[in-house]
Amino acid sequence: MKKLILFLIISTSLLSHPHTFIDVYPTIKKDKANAINFKWKLDEMTSSILIMELDKNMDGKIDDKENKYIEDEYFSMFVPYSYYTYMFVKGQKLNLPTPKNFEATIEDHRLCYAFDIYIDAQLKDIYFEFGDTDYYNALILKDEFVDAKGIKTKITGVDNDFYYGYKLEFLDVQ
Amino acid sequence: MYSDFLHQITSWQYELNRFISSHMRQMQDETSLSSFLVVIGVAFIYGLVHAAGPGHGKALVAFYFTSNKSDYKKAFKMGYLISVFHALSALIFTFGIYFILEKMFRKNFNEFSNIAMMISAVMIMMVGIYLLYEAYTGRKHKEKRITKTSKSELGVAFSAGVVPCPGVMTIVLFSIVLGQYTLGILSAIAMSIGMGITISLAGIFSIALNKKAGSFLNSYGFILEMFGASLVFGLGLVLLLAQI
Repeated sequence: MKKLILFLIISTSLLSHPHTFIDVYPTIKKDKANAINFKWKLDEMTSSILIMELDKNMDGKIDDKENKYIEDEYFSMFVPYSYYTYMFVKGQKLNLPTPKNFEATIEDHRLCYAFDIYIDAQLKDIYFEFGDTDYYNALILKDEFVDAKGIKTKITGVDNDFYYGYKLEFLDVQ
Repeated sequence: MYSDFLHQITSWQYELNRFISSHMRQMQDETSLSSFLVVIGVAFIYGLVHAAGPGHGKALVAFYFTSNKSDYKKAFKMGYLISVFHALSALIFTFGIYFILEKMFRKNFNEFSNIAMMISAVMIMMVGIYLLYEAYTGRKHKEKRITKTSKSELGVAFSAGVVPCPGVMTIVLFSIVLGQYTLGILSAIAMSIGMGITISLAGIFSIALNKKAGSFLNSYGFILEMFGASLVFGLGLVLLLAQI
């Protein structure tokens, strides 16, 4: 019965399988060990459609004005979804600190969103999980996407019943 | 388990999606028939895999065939009809909105897709009522029950297909941006056919289950039909409530 209900709920969300793929690139910032930069690279198809709308002067770049517009109108939409980024400190899920220094760019025909997260805890105590609970977007995390400035990291898949997520841990941090 | 399955089909889609976009872009510089066909072929596979994910009317088709004594041929016909509606709605919506309301595409896309989903939900409920009616009158005239009209089939296919699939729309839109209109239209059709086949499988699965249950269920045929019809109606209701 549980399976049937699960099947029903999933089948009825007609629009909810991944239609956008987001590569997540986490980078530990050297100057501040507790600042992590996340860069999302959207897939090329979604990017081309968004760029058509967001690069208003069509110069192939996102200028300050366009950046502000994207941050206010588009990036802000991810607030209720915690930016698909969940932070755990000592095993406890905490609210993600408000992203700072939002920057949208176009790289290789792909729209990228980058933002910094400042953390009030030791790196060794935290880990992140990524995923869209509605499964409209698929977030992809791979070893080669991570730049932890020499710190060892570990990526594992997380089975969340309704969606698939990734977990990013930092190992051997002093 | 379920999420492992999702992960698998998501990774395939991730790769197929990348393949299609990079090849379509390459073809801007140089077009050859073989690369043209490769993109269309990959779009077909993309459709097969894409429809295996949640949604796309698989539940509706499965419920429909629970309440209907049908053969496998009918399930394929249903898949074929759904692909036709899927492709048409995606092409009409995309080209229509793109050329009429070029600018605020995204905003309008959301609005229109809400309306389309409500139409679809009401249609599904009507199909449910129609099936209930058929089951009821079918009981009175048992001998007539075999000759089902194709009206309800068309209704099911239309309800499942009228909501444009964002996956297909994305391909169409991407090819418009690149100026590859023909390739976009053909890819959308190929992808829809792929999706239709996967959706047919939901119907076949449901028929196979029915056949297996066979004689036991035969005596409860009426209850089963009513149950299937109610499920179809309930599905429409849930979808409608989700939109309001």
